[in-house]
Amino acid sequence: MKRDSATDPFDLAVETGETPWALETKGMSVDYGAFRAVKDLTMGFEKRQVTAIIGPSGCGKSTALRAFNRMNDLIPGCRTEGQVLFHGADVYAPEVDPVRVRRWIGMVFQKPNPFPKSVRENILWGARINGYSGDEEELVEGSLRQAALWDEVKDKLDKSALALSGGQQQRLCIARAVAVKPEILLMDEPTSALDPISTSRIEDLLEELKARYTIIIVTHNMQQAGRVSDRTAFMLLGDLIEYAPTKELFLNPKDERTENYISGRFG
Amino acid sequence: MHSRIQFMEELSRLHHDILSMGTRVGENLAKALEALRSGDAALADEARAGDGAVDAMQVTIEDRAAVLIATQQPVAGDLRELVAVFKLTEHLERIGDYASHLAKAAKRLAKEPYPRSLAPLESMAELEIAMIRDAVAAFLNRDSELARACALKDDEVDASHKAFLEEALDFVRENPEKAQQGMRLIRASAWLERLGDHVTNICEAVVFMVEGRHVELNE
Repeated sequence: MKRDSATDPFDLAVETGETPWALETKGMSVDYGAFRAVKDLTMGFEKRQVTAIIGPSGCGKSTALRAFNRMNDLIPGCRTEGQVLFHGADVYAPEVDPVRVRRWIGMVFQKPNPFPKSVRENILWGARINGYSGDEEELVEGSLRQAALWDEVKDKLDKSALALSGGQQQRLCIARAVAVKPEILLMDEPTSALDPISTSRIEDLLEELKARYTIIIVTHNMQQAGRVSDRTAFMLLGDLIEYAPTKELFLNPKDERTENYISGRFG
Repeated sequence: MHSRIQFMEELSRLHHDILSMGTRVGENLAKALEALRSGDAALADEARAGDGAVDAMQVTIEDRAAVLIATQQPVAGDLRELVAVFKLTEHLERIGDYASHLAKAAKRLAKEPYPRSLAPLESMAELEIAMIRDAVAAFLNRDSELARACALKDDEVDASHKAFLEEALDFVRENPEKAQQGMRLIRASAWLERLGDHVTNICEAVVFMVEGRHVELNE
């Protein structure tokens, strides 16, 4: 993917800045008007691992996720303080274009939202906007293969994406996200609208995707977090309560609130 | 706020079953000990017959625990508790076997009394009846300190076994015609020594359940 590093400071940082974390937050807080939804979040996300963020409804996990790639900019009255560092560059620096941020830090949403276009156009649209000038058929096939969807749609690339099943549409959204070659994939409850078999396929896909991408997934499904993630962060009322390797957090959590939540005592 | 009422009720039922199993094992060991002291063959038979119920309890408890894991997906402390349940039932079942072996030895001794003192064997068994009670209590009360204190008593069991071994070997040397009897009693002492080890294993499982750490108590 062509990088316009000469003019975009964010792309320049991506090319030159190397840090131990795929993404790092320092004192990140997010407010909706007077309500502080995320409080002083400081954490680092390991490269090419799956990190799950869990917590009860309203704990701030989706707000935090959307803050990582400035999706909250689209919400009137939403304000972010602190830093979100990607390759050492703060995504909230005044000179940074949020559109460029979202090219490197992609997002998959809870409800599959393919464009009302063909399968092929869904993959190519974002790539073209980002200046892709390579072999388009190669990009389409490669992206669909990464999303484990190629075999199911290779004979229907010009058919409408809306004709696909829910599970296929969500995998198409993943293919669309990886087509622009991001480094990080943010997933906000990506399987909660899907049936168990589609869910299982996407969970298997995450294991393959993490070889190339850092994945941060918000889920309210504890068992899913246990199955797919390497590290898990538990949030409650806007605070980060505990953040540990998943095996540790699920076998021997340090905080009683974590134990009570993951054991189903509240939530 | 919900509290997983059904899951808690099932755990409570498992606790009750573990208590029953531990109590039955302790009772069988007590009967075997009394049969050893008194030469009461009928009591020895009762102790042996009681082991069947212990084996059945292990199966019931483990099946119930497996269903809970499959259907409730416990994590953290709840999961460690169910892991401890499997360990407890396995070790209690082995303790029950050793109590049964002791009862069989007691019945044989009734026909052919041992001319020297069986006090070390008796003291091992008495101590272990108390240890089984404490180990099960430690599990039910999630008391890792009690588990540690209980495991320490295995040193006394080992010391008694060593003392009896020397005494019994001395007996066999002096009375070679009674070697078979001597060897039976040495085996009985070894069973009681192993029984103490199984109680220690239960205590280690309790520490894992409470503290989330694997420890070796009494190396």
